[in-house]
Amino acid sequence: MATNGKTTVKGDPFIEVKGLCKSFGSLQVLCGIDETIRRGDKVVVIGPSGSGKSTFLRCLNLLEKSTSGEIWFDGEEITGPKCKVDHLRQRMGMVFQHFNLFPHKTILENITLAPIIKKVMTKAEAKEKAMSLLTRIGLADKAKIYPNMLSGGQKQRVAIVRALAMNPEVMLFDEPTSALDPEMVGEVLSLMKDLAEDGMTMVVVTHEMGFAREVANRVLFMDSGKILEQNPPDVFFSQPKHPRLKDFLGKIL
Amino acid sequence: MQVLLNWYHGLVKAIDSTFIVDGRYQIFLEGLGNTLIITLGALLLGVAVGVFVAISKVYYYQTGPFYFWSSLGSFLRTGQLRYLHQAILKLLDGLLSCYLTVFRGTPVVVQLMIWAFVVFSTTHELLVAIIGFGINSGAYVSEIVRAGIMAVDIGQTEAGRSLGLSAARTMQCIVLPQALKNVLPALGNEGIALIKETSIVGYIAVIDLTKAAALVRARTFDAFVPLLFVAAVYLFMVMFLSFLLKKLEKRLQASDRK
Repeated sequence: MATNGKTTVKGDPFIEVKGLCKSFGSLQVLCGIDETIRRGDKVVVIGPSGSGKSTFLRCLNLLEKSTSGEIWFDGEEITGPKCKVDHLRQRMGMVFQHFNLFPHKTILENITLAPIIKKVMTKAEAKEKAMSLLTRIGLADKAKIYPNMLSGGQKQRVAIVRALAMNPEVMLFDEPTSALDPEMVGEVLSLMKDLAEDGMTMVVVTHEMGFAREVANRVLFMDSGKILEQNPPDVFFSQPKHPRLKDFLGKIL
Repeated sequence: MQVLLNWYHGLVKAIDSTFIVDGRYQIFLEGLGNTLIITLGALLLGVAVGVFVAISKVYYYQTGPFYFWSSLGSFLRTGQLRYLHQAILKLLDGLLSCYLTVFRGTPVVVQLMIWAFVVFSTTHELLVAIIGFGINSGAYVSEIVRAGIMAVDIGQTEAGRSLGLSAARTMQCIVLPQALKNVLPALGNEGIALIKETSIVGYIAVIDLTKAAALVRARTFDAFVPLLFVAAVYLFMVMFLSFLLKKLEKRLQASDRK
């Protein structure tokens, strides 16, 4: 992966968050987040609902505007007024809890829409890329049908592939399996695992502790707008230190 | 029997004098042509105006609220263009609200006469009629389309933006197609209302279908045939439009099938 003529090395600081705060009116959701995500990182963010995990993730690609603090992406400040938001988002894929596939477009069109409009590829290239991605997730036969005819798990896999079609350098996942029937969670997680094995930089907000344990190289615990603890998964789950984390793990494990 | 026969002869004579004598069918043809031109032109103008107004209002709603004088003050103080942008947005939103209030709050026939006799006073009455009906219709269409846009899940916009599409592209390729599909029945209502509303255009000396009937009636002293005839023509036009809408709706429902 090389962008802006720079060669990139795994382990380089990639997204740097400094003192990030976010308020909705009088409600403070993020209170001073400092965090560095390196190239090749697989970071899983866990925490109780309302702890600010999703807001943190959405601040990273500027779907939410931070109230104060800085975010640096690949050496450039993206929280300043000069940031080219659309160009930035092209480099960061995002997957949503409710899939957000475009219901009026076929599966193929869902995937090729952005690459064609943003002129990342020609029509033919975009189609070829989309078909190879669909083949990879075993849904090539669904290319011509509409999202409504897919199951939840299939929809989410298509949504992941749609983000991948733009060749992003980092993927953000916002509770990708929370809206799925239990028997469909596995297929989505295994696609995400494949992605992680390919070396994709990933930030995942999830409640799937198995996934965190297996795939993450770092797990963050967030509560009331702060990162209270972070560690590699084996230490994180076996020796939690912060009482809030102990309490949280005690409830869910 | 004799009564029926007399009535029949009278009817044939009336039909003859309404349509054939002096080539009067030509007046009806001219009227029909004008009605169609005005309806079509106003419909296109109304949808264009309505979509523009709806998008502007939604955009303001999603980014605002701003305050005109304080935004302008901030711009003059700091020179930052985003404050000027906010001030312009607020001004535009205010103007559009005035537009909706005025054009939905006054009778269309009064508006039409103001366009024809106060604003333009030209001889291009057809064009004036298209502008008059189009701008009036745009006020109603804009609220229909606005409802449609706001009913599309915000996640659709977020998905579009997260893929790197601009706000305008997201609106054009993702939100608007879904919004228009949802409001098609309501837009059809507006089209149907518009066809019939054009029948008052005689007030500004355009010969439309209704005016044609009135002209012929004044010559033949028979009201029955011309009025029932134009009523039937309006009915037919509305039925045809409903038929087209139903077909369009069916086609757009392709993505709904489970």
